[in-house]
Amino acid sequence: MAETVARQKKRKERLEDILVVDCDVHVHESPKELAPYCDMPWRKALENIADVEEYYLDIPGFSPGMTWYEARFPSGHEGRRMVHTAEQMREELSEIYVDIGILFPDHLLKIAMITQADYASALARAYNTWLLDKWCSQEMGLLGCVIACPQDPEDAAREIRRYAGEPEIVGVYLPCAGLEPLWGHRKYDPIYEAAQEMDLPVLLHSVTVVHPVFPFNLHVFETEFGRHICGHTFSIMANLVHMISSGVPVRYPQLRIALTEVGISWVPFLMNRMDKEYLERRREIPILEERPSYYMKKFYYATQPVEEPENLRDLVTLMNLYDGEDQTIFASDWPHHDFDHPSKVHQIPFSNEVRRKVFGDNALRLFKIDAQGRRLNL
Amino acid sequence: MTQRKEHLVGDLSEFPENSHKVVKVGRREIGIFNIGGEFYGLPNICPHQTGPLCEGKTTTGTLVARKDNDWRFEWDYEGEIVACPWHGLEYHVPTGRCLAFSNIKVRTYKVVVEDGKVKVRV
Repeated sequence: MAETVARQKKRKERLEDILVVDCDVHVHESPKELAPYCDMPWRKALENIADVEEYYLDIPGFSPGMTWYEARFPSGHEGRRMVHTAEQMREELSEIYVDIGILFPDHLLKIAMITQADYASALARAYNTWLLDKWCSQEMGLLGCVIACPQDPEDAAREIRRYAGEPEIVGVYLPCAGLEPLWGHRKYDPIYEAAQEMDLPVLLHSVTVVHPVFPFNLHVFETEFGRHICGHTFSIMANLVHMISSGVPVRYPQLRIALTEVGISWVPFLMNRMDKEYLERRREIPILEERPSYYMKKFYYATQPVEEPENLRDLVTLMNLYDGEDQTIFASDWPHHDFDHPSKVHQIPFSNEVRRKVFGDNALRLFKIDAQGRRLNL
Repeated sequence: MTQRKEHLVGDLSEFPENSHKVVKVGRREIGIFNIGGEFYGLPNICPHQTGPLCEGKTTTGTLVARKDNDWRFEWDYEGEIVACPWHGLEYHVPTGRCLAFSNIKVRTYKVVVEDGKVKVRV
């Protein structure tokens, strides 16, 4: 304790005096760059698209995207920043105080969407060789992750073993976007075996991809554990994001909206994610007059299935993160298997005032009823 | 309060209509915008994460939605919006108003043109 206090009294260290390892930076791999590293016949295909105009992470036959489906308005913010060489990367990372950068691809974030397995694994091999050849440099503080091609796990395992001895390869990148089945499937075991044996970490990385089922391909889960956690939560989160982005709370400002049977711990997460995206993408949702969290804080959140952290006070903290004392409503889900007895929520160390709100007063406001259950708005 | 001083930043010909560029005035970097013959100045720093706000390639209009148009997309503020090249936060150049966050406004500098010279008041 004394030590902590002493440390707090010290002046805050400056960024330039701290080692900064940046665990996700992106190299730009164009078809033209990778072509010389790629096996035939796939090299031919890469050469064929070498001069195709490049939209951000969207080249037909390389990184399938949504560019073709939507209106493109002029903007001063093209969002197409790219790093083409190791030297450029070093220079730019130094400007933002990064000492060591861990390299991930640009286009090949979408490699899992390539339908031809042999093409995908050829791309992965080409990228791995190219990355080590052109980018990785311990001297420059640029370290790489090899791509594990999900379409061909055996080949991915070979690649992991092939590069594991390279001092400048420090991990295995597992592409997540558009992946089917998900990374929990046994077919990927060779990748995990190789990574473990070679003592390399695996790093999951996704990118925006929407695809008939992804990212809701939860039907591949073999456990109710997985389905129950993700099914409820993803569904509510997706629906809520969609409602916010189409401006439901702006168009219907008097509408009261409640979310049930999702617990509450995801609320601060989603609020913060949406506010962050709003910074960059306001013009997609110009209907919003305030940041997304402003609206989310007006919704009501039912407690069940209430989280049960070791320290129940964490729930009070969680609620405070979304100004939840007036917005949280008790629910039991009785008689379902995962019902919460009110005594569990009662154990949460709320003040008496907040406890009353959560157990009843907030719900009265939501439903506009009195304590006897009589409608107040008739 | 110290008196605002006029600083010469270049000849009018260096600021063609519907263009902008960043100039240095002492230690400050200021984006000088010529929007349809009207001149505006904004600091070249975005309050979000200190990005070079005025180095956005081009000013454009932007999308807005209003109740009286059933919340449909409308293209407005043609030529008056600069987006920070780092994260795309949009600002209305003539007023310094941030579109995403109504409580954020960057300062604006008065820019005057006299005898073919462009001057900014700091």
